[in-house]
Amino acid sequence: MNYLDDIIAKIATENPVHGKKLRKNIGKQSQEYKDKANEFFSTYISFAKKTDKDLDYGIACYLRMLADVNQEYIAFLETGEYTTKSFEDANRRVYNNPEVMEYYMHGLLMSQYLWVHHNDIYKFFVGNITKHKTEVSNYLEIGAGHGMYISEATKLLSDTTSFDVVDISPTSLEISKSFIEKQDINYMLSDIYEYEPSEKYDFITMGEVLEHVEDPISLLKCVSGLLKDSGTLFITAPANAPAIDHIYLFKNAEDIRDVITAAGLTITKEYAEFVEDVSPEIAEQYKIALMYGAFLKKQ
Amino acid sequence: MEMTEVLAQINEIAKDVFDDENIVLAENTTANDVEDWDSITHVQLLFSVEKQFGIKFTSSEIAKFKNIGEIIACILAK
Repeated sequence: MNYLDDIIAKIATENPVHGKKLRKNIGKQSQEYKDKANEFFSTYISFAKKTDKDLDYGIACYLRMLADVNQEYIAFLETGEYTTKSFEDANRRVYNNPEVMEYYMHGLLMSQYLWVHHNDIYKFFVGNITKHKTEVSNYLEIGAGHGMYISEATKLLSDTTSFDVVDISPTSLEISKSFIEKQDINYMLSDIYEYEPSEKYDFITMGEVLEHVEDPISLLKCVSGLLKDSGTLFITAPANAPAIDHIYLFKNAEDIRDVITAAGLTITKEYAEFVEDVSPEIAEQYKIALMYGAFLKKQ
Repeated sequence: MEMTEVLAQINEIAKDVFDDENIVLAENTTANDVEDWDSITHVQLLFSVEKQFGIKFTSSEIAKFKNIGEIIACILAK
């Protein structure tokens, strides 16, 4: 079933600007990408059905989330700051606001295959994690979302590797369970600051979390404390990416690197890409978001 | 303010945003009619319109903008 084309056509009707962008960006992707996207949307439909929702609902949520992003971006152009200033703010606006949380969660899920830059960072992860195959006996993912990273890790790492997921949100954990195929994964509901595993980890993945906290250095130090001395941490974080629940503003890749270093970590491999197909000069001028991913070790 | 006056002012903004002195917008103009109307220039356009008219668009208003006419209708309703 070709969900992708239907989704893009519906989005283009409601939002011609974004429809144009999707046609251009997704048009350039491989058939494999499109097949994976259709498989993902098929899983999304099953997930949505559990709460009497459907694909049209997902599209509506995505469009609403997109309008939020545009509004936040306009404010960002004016002030150079994110509008959400604290975790308490984010809680009030999003996490403790069921109506917002509902459309935001569905919108974010839809974005996983509509925002192609997610896939470029994912390819960077996939292309490098196999190097760790023999050294990873246990793997932790902090906030697994729909499981893009951990699902691949379960296929690429050893059969004997154990997999844990920690998330602060029960709703997010339910999403992870619905989307991740592998059965023997340990899902734990916990604040990462309060999580005390019996054993430290060989590999930890934490995607798109640092920008959601007030003190990313403290968070990275905490996560580093869960890592074995020889372990590897994979993180992703965006710079210049206004969103209703983004608190910490990284202005560029250098800002992210500074936080990594301040947390006592060192970069072994990194990847960065602007979310629009523009030169660094144009990206600077228009404050275009940058996606950043890196494999880290303890210093 | 009249619809035509708002359109004329947005047309002036569009010349700058889309870097096209000859651009002529109509109420039914969409991103599909203007080559350089993309996600970057869209936000620039809305940002400049907000400044020009001294208004702020809400997220739900932004979500409904399919063409220039809908942006104008929103400005006039404020």
